[in-house]
Amino acid sequence: MASNKLRASQREQDDDTQVDMSPMIDMVFLLLIFFIVNATLIIVEMDKKVVVPIARYSEKQNDKMGRIVVNVYSDEFAGEGRFRMADGKEVFANDDDLTKWIKEQKEYWEDKGQKPRLHLRADGKVHFTYVRRAIRAGAAAGVNEVIFVSLWSRKS
Amino acid sequence: MARHRRVTNLEEDKPELSISPLIDICFLLLIYFLVTTTIKQKERDNSMMLPSAAPSESQPDIQPFFIKISNEGHIFANVGAAQELLDRESQGPERILPLLDSRLEIYAAAANAGNNKPLVQVYVEAEAEQQVVSDVLNHLAKHDITTVTFTDLVLQDEQSK
Repeated sequence: MASNKLRASQREQDDDTQVDMSPMIDMVFLLLIFFIVNATLIIVEMDKKVVVPIARYSEKQNDKMGRIVVNVYSDEFAGEGRFRMADGKEVFANDDDLTKWIKEQKEYWEDKGQKPRLHLRADGKVHFTYVRRAIRAGAAAGVNEVIFVSLWSRKS
Repeated sequence: MARHRRVTNLEEDKPELSISPLIDICFLLLIYFLVTTTIKQKERDNSMMLPSAAPSESQPDIQPFFIKISNEGHIFANVGAAQELLDRESQGPERILPLLDSRLEIYAAAANAGNNKPLVQVYVEAEAEQQVVSDVLNHLAKHDITTVTFTDLVLQDEQSK
């Protein structure tokens, strides 16, 4: 019963190609939620007070599992503690305390089926005597593999 | 005219999703993150097995290469009368130790030729800076030498027993 004019206007409307965005947005949010839920975030924390040395032949950090992060501070920041955990907040009272913590971390990673490694973030200016103490604490806890952390180059 | 008015009303009633605010917000967030982000250099690994932590009972088949790092950051090779100064300091932004590099190249080639694993013993004086130690370890990594002994660790462990 519709008039010719109405029919013509309806035909014009049908010819208009429009992209419906709502399913795409639905899918994007769905994928986002999927990846957020599935992602296992592994971060090796870095305290920026420790300026690690430069080493051109060092390798890219591929496997971030099993790392026991110990920071060794230069004299400038050693006032609050020479050896600290990854975030730089927890200070080790003495070498025995450090050894005990490394041992706990070693057991934690071994339980997860990972090989524990001492991830040593020593400042480039620190005297080796302190680095040696950290290595020795690791050795006493039974961790043989030591990762000396470095940068590829220094940005000016 | 009346009929035409009814058609346009039908069109207006159709619900539509307006994308423009979404795009606005996306760009706003993008700009915010671009402005606030500080690009941090990625740290890298120089991984070493330290046999001093688990000394082996058997003698190695190959004579280890001995390196000494003094408090001043000088690099020496060998011990006793055979000790010789190799490098006083590293060169350039890549921190190259040319003499140590050439010695390690010869040593690693000899070890590989005899199907042996190259072994290096490092003695570091207490006040040597970690950067200098890292320079030496960097050259070891260059020649694929991953078995390193910090000799003073063993000595001091033995003394403490």
